[in-house]
Amino acid sequence: MDISFALTGKGYVIVAADTTAARSIVKMKSDEDKIKVLSPHLLMAFSGEPGDTVNFAEYVERNLRLYHIRHTYALRPASAASWIRRSLAESLRSRSPYAVNLLLGGYDTATHTPELYWVDYMGTLTSVPFGAHGYGSYFALSLLDRYHDPEANLEEGLATLRRCIDEVSKRLVVSPGKYKVKVVDKDGVREIEL
Amino acid sequence: MARRYDSRTTIFSPEGRLYQIEYAMEAISHAGTVLGVLAKDGVVLAAEKKVTGKLLDMSGAKEGGYGGSGEKIFLLNSNVISGVAGLTADANSLVNYARQAAQGHLFNYNEDIPVELLVQRLCDLKQGYTQYGGLRPFGVSILYAGYDPHYQFQLYHSDPSGNYSGWKATCIGANNGTAQSLLKQEYKDDIGIDEAVGLVLRTMSKTMDSTTLGSEKLEFATLTLDAEKRPKAKIYKPAEIDALLVKHDLAKKDEDTEMRAA
Amino acid sequence: MNSFADRFATTGTAAELRRIKEYVADDEDVSDSMWGSEAGFGTMAHGAPDFMVPSVPDPAAFLRLHTDDHADPSCRIKIKHGTTTLAFRYKGGVIVAVDSRATAGSYVASGTVKKVIEINPYLLGTMAGGAADCQYWETYLGMQCRLHELRNHERISVAAASKYLSNLVYSYKGMGLSMGTMICGWDKTGPAIFYVDSDGTRLKGDLFSVGSGSTFAYGVLDQGYHWDLTDEEAQELGRRSIYAAGHRDAFSGNTINLYHVKEQGWQFIGNYDVSEMHYNGPTGTQGYGYSVRVEGRSSANPPV
Repeated sequence: MDISFALTGKGYVIVAADTTAARSIVKMKSDEDKIKVLSPHLLMAFSGEPGDTVNFAEYVERNLRLYHIRHTYALRPASAASWIRRSLAESLRSRSPYAVNLLLGGYDTATHTPELYWVDYMGTLTSVPFGAHGYGSYFALSLLDRYHDPEANLEEGLATLRRCIDEVSKRLVVSPGKYKVKVVDKDGVREIEL
Repeated sequence: MARRYDSRTTIFSPEGRLYQIEYAMEAISHAGTVLGVLAKDGVVLAAEKKVTGKLLDMSGAKEGGYGGSGEKIFLLNSNVISGVAGLTADANSLVNYARQAAQGHLFNYNEDIPVELLVQRLCDLKQGYTQYGGLRPFGVSILYAGYDPHYQFQLYHSDPSGNYSGWKATCIGANNGTAQSLLKQEYKDDIGIDEAVGLVLRTMSKTMDSTTLGSEKLEFATLTLDAEKRPKAKIYKPAEIDALLVKHDLAKKDEDTEMRAA
Repeated sequence: MNSFADRFATTGTAAELRRIKEYVADDEDVSDSMWGSEAGFGTMAHGAPDFMVPSVPDPAAFLRLHTDDHADPSCRIKIKHGTTTLAFRYKGGVIVAVDSRATAGSYVASGTVKKVIEINPYLLGTMAGGAADCQYWETYLGMQCRLHELRNHERISVAAASKYLSNLVYSYKGMGLSMGTMICGWDKTGPAIFYVDSDGTRLKGDLFSVGSGSTFAYGVLDQGYHWDLTDEEAQELGRRSIYAAGHRDAFSGNTINLYHVKEQGWQFIGNYDVSEMHYNGPTGTQGYGYSVRVEGRSSANPPV
């Protein structure tokens, strides 16, 4: 079961996702990257039905890239989120819907604000200060209600993320081992070793 | 069989020219003047109305609607206004297309359409009519005054061939050459919106065929930002135009007191 | 009516449809055919061949009803399922090892199945899940790989070949395909393995095992694996892992087929009988079986 977390802080968004690819009871891989870099200031963590996830993420990646090439600037996070939501919602009403849950973390260079969107496979889009998908959300959401600080600096934000990961490792029966963590801020996207 | 020949309206001449496009451009250079100036905190558009006369019922333009008389200046979206020169009927069709395109963008992206993107959408359409058989090109040039967070205030021009370009100040329609050389002399890079309004009105008064300016011959609009930094399009109503002309000392000096009183 | 004029007409069904499209999709609907040319991409524009399906409202459900031997052991069509396959990458290339048993329900249908599909001299595919699905689509993949060579004067990369297969099976998702395969080969980047299954999952990795016996194979494989294996050690590890699965998993066994992929292409190492491995081992000197291995040894600890 995929687990992903994301939270905003002062001028940044942190997005984290586990790195296991499992099939039935077997871990097929333990260094899978489930966070796509969609544009210079946009990250997307994806989880859900195997096959759908990567396919949908690549579909989104290429469409946003095309937009970037055509218009020389990338879509702003809010607009990209809106387009992605629409794609999912249209897919939901098709013969073979994508079953993919997303966390979109971006930095709007026009307004200088970090933005985080929680999107589920039903096409629900909501702007949140922090979010999670998978079993991890049952532990992390209450924890983040308690500890999240919208003005936390990056170190403090990462410490809060650490709390989420530790809590899941402690309490979830089948907890994943490793996480990949990416951050987006005014300087763009980068990966961070926890 | 006949369709094999007459369905190809726009084909190259042996000299490599597309006459239909050139004819369309020629038609526009006789149309009412449209003038646009980009300022650092806004954009100004003005247009000369050709269809006038004592018997024309203009009561609809006086109140209601979003301003203007619906002949030359249109609101395409909350962040873009346009001034059109050329065949008015063609222009109406393009304005309708632009509004649909802007709403389509809002539907998909939940944001106001970026100005250049809207211009591109219209130009793609116009270009199509220079290539596919059986159709004449649109006889319309358009000035677009817009705002978006990517490039702030912008002024664009598009012509019947589907070409478009961005400007600090430009003019289309009758006497555009005269107007453009006037603008070239007077334009300053850090011009503010109030100065731009004055520049536009002065240039219009010098270029237009008629000796005096009045709301029956002029449409006028500005695009600025409101207190919340959202784009605010204002298309002037006839009374507001007359008031503006008085303020800039360009109004009619004699008769027609009824208009000035309003 | 002129098709372009039709696009901009404001009345009629075409206009209705267009209006809906304009609201819903932002994409331009200018197709290649509109320009009167597909620029020589005519054959590439269309995907894989498609098949006749039963004329019932939900063909996939219909198929499932007659093939799912888990839900209904008396179903009429039993698809061949049980298998152990493995592949791993190490400094000397790729080792591919598989068993050869085919079961349909609890019936051993064959003990001499070739579960390694030789796509071309540089690519191997393994077979788990539906035997026909794997055989058909991997052969089809072989055709596409050859066409790639003819078109590009260059061998297809393992990444591209596996992506082609994963896109292909993904397009059939939910329609009853059952495949779990490893595409193994050697290209410009060196040895490579991609796991591709009928969910549409595609994973790049160093070590995979697929099939009902995969957990047993992993148990031996993971413990014995490291990058710097010699060729002999690597082949022995592959063989021994499949033996372990053949021994423990009822749906795997009979014989082991072992392949080694090197820079010059793949090489068939040999076919080994699982029972023979149990008692005597590949050299006839040391059997893999537990009782054989611990012959004469005891945990009894009587006072001296």
